[in-house]
Amino acid sequence: MTDPKDSSKDERGGLYLLRRFWVYVRDHRRWLLLGLLMIPVVAGMTVVRPLLLKHAVDVDIPARDVHTLRVTALLFLLAVVLEFISQAVQVYALQRVGHVTINDLRRAVFRHVLRLPARFFDKNPLGALLARSTTDIEALSETLAFGVFTILTDVVMILVVLGAMFYLDARLTLISLAVAPLIWILVRVFSARLRALQLEVRKAQAVQGGYLTEQLAGATVLQLFGRQRAAVAEFERLGGRYLRTTKTANIYDALLFSLIDGISALCIALLIYFGAPGVVDGSGLTLGLLFAFIDYLQRVFVPIREFSGKLATVQRALAALDRVYGLLDEPAEPRLPEGAPDPLHTWTGGLRVRGLRFRYRQDGPEILKGIDLDVAPGEVVAVVGRTGSGKTSLGRVLTRAYDGYQGSVQLTCPDGQTHELSTLSPDALRRHALLVQQDIFLFAEDVAFNVALGEPELSGDPEALRAALRAVQAEALVDERGGLEFQVGERGRALSAGEAQLLAFARVAARAPTFLILDEATASVDSVTEHKVQRAIEALLRGRSVLVIAHRLSTVRRADKILVMDAGQIIEQGTHDQLLARGGAYAQLYRMGLDAA
Amino acid sequence: MKSLLRFLRRYAARNLPHYALGLVALLLTNYAVVRVPALIGQALDVLGEAGPLAAAAGQSIALELILWAVIVVVARTASRILFFNPGREVELRLAIDLFRHLLALQRPFYATRKLGELVSVAINDISSVRLLIGFAGLQVFNVIVAIPMHLAQMWSTDPVLTVWCLTPVLLGAIYMQRVVSAFYGLIRRSLELLAGVSDRILETYSGIATVRAHAAEAAMIRRFDERSDAYLAVLLHLSRLRAFALPLLSFTGLIGAAIILWIGGDRVIAGELKIGALATFTALLVSLVGLLTAVAWVLTTVSRGLVSLTRVDQVLDTPTGVPPATDDYALRAPPALELRRLSFTYPGADAPVLSDISVDLGPGRTLGIFGRTGAGKTTLINLLTRVYDPPPGAVRVDGHDVLALDQDRLRAGLAVVPQDPFLFSTTLRDNIRLRGERSGHVRGADGEAAREGADDWAEVDDPQLTRVLDAACLEDDLRALPDGLATVVGERGVMLSGGQRQRVALARALYRAPPLLILDDILSAVDQGTEARLVAAIRGLRGRLAGDATEPTTAPTTVIVSHRTSVLEHADEILVLEAGRVVERGTHDALIAAGGVYARTHDHQGAEGDHD
Repeated sequence: MTDPKDSSKDERGGLYLLRRFWVYVRDHRRWLLLGLLMIPVVAGMTVVRPLLLKHAVDVDIPARDVHTLRVTALLFLLAVVLEFISQAVQVYALQRVGHVTINDLRRAVFRHVLRLPARFFDKNPLGALLARSTTDIEALSETLAFGVFTILTDVVMILVVLGAMFYLDARLTLISLAVAPLIWILVRVFSARLRALQLEVRKAQAVQGGYLTEQLAGATVLQLFGRQRAAVAEFERLGGRYLRTTKTANIYDALLFSLIDGISALCIALLIYFGAPGVVDGSGLTLGLLFAFIDYLQRVFVPIREFSGKLATVQRALAALDRVYGLLDEPAEPRLPEGAPDPLHTWTGGLRVRGLRFRYRQDGPEILKGIDLDVAPGEVVAVVGRTGSGKTSLGRVLTRAYDGYQGSVQLTCPDGQTHELSTLSPDALRRHALLVQQDIFLFAEDVAFNVALGEPELSGDPEALRAALRAVQAEALVDERGGLEFQVGERGRALSAGEAQLLAFARVAARAPTFLILDEATASVDSVTEHKVQRAIEALLRGRSVLVIAHRLSTVRRADKILVMDAGQIIEQGTHDQLLARGGAYAQLYRMGLDAA
Repeated sequence: MKSLLRFLRRYAARNLPHYALGLVALLLTNYAVVRVPALIGQALDVLGEAGPLAAAAGQSIALELILWAVIVVVARTASRILFFNPGREVELRLAIDLFRHLLALQRPFYATRKLGELVSVAINDISSVRLLIGFAGLQVFNVIVAIPMHLAQMWSTDPVLTVWCLTPVLLGAIYMQRVVSAFYGLIRRSLELLAGVSDRILETYSGIATVRAHAAEAAMIRRFDERSDAYLAVLLHLSRLRAFALPLLSFTGLIGAAIILWIGGDRVIAGELKIGALATFTALLVSLVGLLTAVAWVLTTVSRGLVSLTRVDQVLDTPTGVPPATDDYALRAPPALELRRLSFTYPGADAPVLSDISVDLGPGRTLGIFGRTGAGKTTLINLLTRVYDPPPGAVRVDGHDVLALDQDRLRAGLAVVPQDPFLFSTTLRDNIRLRGERSGHVRGADGEAAREGADDWAEVDDPQLTRVLDAACLEDDLRALPDGLATVVGERGVMLSGGQRQRVALARALYRAPPLLILDDILSAVDQGTEARLVAAIRGLRGRLAGDATEPTTAPTTVIVSHRTSVLEHADEILVLEAGRVVERGTHDALIAAGGVYARTHDHQGAEGDHD
């Protein structure tokens, strides 16, 4: 039983949600129309069949007219065929609308999430996002394909059948349906209870399944630490909960099922009991009418059994739709309109930063506290500093991974034109300014895909990809593995950490960005690979403006300028030798070993 | 079939009384189900003859009808409960046995099977087995009982009409059989494709930072749409089956009804049949169509259930491969560790991973293992801990062959920190202590269990815990976490960085204060500053960690694997492994003096991370 306040809120929200949802359905309205048009045909045929039966029993057979009986039988057959066809068309058309619409919605959600800013992902766990894009959408799909329209069909069917019954004999209809309200209440009560139980069963199942999966994944740890018995005991406890709930659910399920099974017989008995005198004394009630009523009664009850279950699906779907729209309403990053000119085509990598301040959350601490920084075209600037000094955030702000800085960040072009960072569309900016973070992410595709990442000019050009791999010392390695078509596995599992890093560098070489922001990874690799990685980084530093968040001595030495950051500010800058001579913060960091930083 | 019988004996035998009662209920149900149409027909006949007593006779039949209707409700409810509930019990018994056995199976087994597959056996296959003995069990008996009863009732009403109207229905049933199996195939396919769509979504969302930085949305959308559209295509195919093929059997039933009207009407006119028989026939036919539909689904459920049962059996019949213990020695004090010409080849591999390794390490001493990726370091650890069983006699603790010891007892005396540690999605505290009923419990998904006293010891002062947190350099990290030690670390510890996970695993091992401590390259993801502190902490274990400060204890015998020389400096002996062989050995200083691989690496790493 739902809270009345709740349901009223649902209804208002429900209408609003459905109106928004119509946007997706609209494109497929022809199939929808076709499906809806079939509903009255199906209902009509269902009503006609018993009428034909009545005619046969009341007219044809008593008249001993074999010929008209055959005509009636043929008409009956025709009604059966028509009913089958129209019902099939109706089911297919409506399910099709459901599936296609949901597919559109799923695609829309995916597209939208890809454009959400980094802050959104910080706040929302991946699991919840995945649930929005899969579980919630599936719940909608189920409802749209099976729930909403079948409810409509059922309602039409029941109304039409009841109409026909009242038309034939109102008194008898009332008598035979006398128990209907009682049944209705019983069914409502049972199915509400059943639904609650089924929900609990699903939850218990999910918990037990999740527990099992995790324990199996950590089986070796359990074994090494002698935890097997405790794990089995916990599994039994979870299973016991599941068992108790399902057993109770089974009882309600069985009752509900059997009740409907017995109820039409009960109604028919009432019909015969109260109709019998009328048939015998011939007061308008005929045998054929009884035949027709018996058929109708069998039609009315089955939809009632399924009705409340379907209604529940619809409610679940509305909740899911609400959550999905919550996601779709999250403001996304802007994108350059298709075919718009590239505002940065004359940019050569000059950057002027003045008084840059930044915080991740409005109420959070200030991470960057007034940074002034100039990068000349082609200059390599290394940033060093302890963990938490703000160096990683600087890179993120400069590529608009995070918005909302104060101060000015200007991209200066040789023709004197300047662009304020916040006015540039993120995708236009990132075509020229590339951020490579410490965490390397590889997709479960081949090497070519992982380097090109779908860039149209690169995807179809193996030579360009090879050149990029060559530039970062990765070509021989890739060939050893099986070339550009080598599948790197889920998250690049088939590759070592060093190899993955080289592929990420190849991405940079392939795109040849005007400005590179490189967050050097600290994860250690064996010395041979480390050597390759160093040489690859040196290659990437050439021929472009670079801001490198450095952990390697070799990288720092190669820089034109070193910035030392501390607590969101630049506290020293200069070349390696200058800073070392100065004996300040840099010299201290250097002595500790840079990657302690 | 044999496995089905064995399974029934083992798991369902104790529910025999339920099933016996259920069968009685089922017989009663079906008798009532065929009685009802017969009574309706009788009533119509009585009324059709319109004699003086017809109304009263009709009414008494109606009363009998009510009785049978009530019997149908009661008996059917009882039969469903009596068949379905034992099914759930059997499911749970089987699931527990399977889970227990899976936890007894060792790494060699897990190395050859995908986790997802095993989970699918434990969840999907077991639920198919439940359907086999619950739903299918009921339906099989139901069909066996009910179809003959229906046919008998029809035949006794009119044999000619029976033959006529059954013909289309039987054709429909045969067709249905094939459709249902195709339907299941498509359902399975659609679930696979849906999993593929989810994979894509998860992968793309996980890599969102990369996608964003490289402005690679278009490519991501393309590869997502591919999967999404393939899924849609299967769904549409399923819808076609649902719309056109699955209702065909009911359709043939209605054709049968038309035949009843045609042929039966003729026979009534000819006086060979009473009018009520038409109603009896139609009702029986509708009921029979329902039964035949059930047969089609049940046959498929049975065949799926049997396949699932074989899969479950396969796992249950896999021997654990753990040899029986013949030596009841247990590690209490730090043991002497000895390797005697240890060689090892992984099952199914050609080349040995380790060849001819010998070591003699005194109690409380530290052994360093140095080598590149692939040199065999982790294999060596796996043999020490019996994750893989070493050859007999090759690994000895205090002179006892580890292979002869009880596996659990051996492991109770050691703690290992693997390179890639596994954390459970519970609190940091439980992950470190790893004891008590709720270790590794899924909390996020189960609020109730989280409240049920999972934090029983949360408030208890645990000096040992404080000590290990300090030793593993976790205290600063704890301050940064939202709930400190009570922070739920998320699935596999996703809330933590790689370095933090390694240090939590280190704390977990230290917490046990084991006589034998094994550290597998645990500092690979921590920076050098932390590394220095951790190395100092591990060295400082002597006398501090293994118990109360008041109680004098000795340092654990320790094995440290690393590819960083700085970690190994203080080991009593270092083995340098290359392709599974010891190429150099000695103390840190001796190895530096020897000027080999170790010394060269040391110079290189020293220049890189020059400290002092």
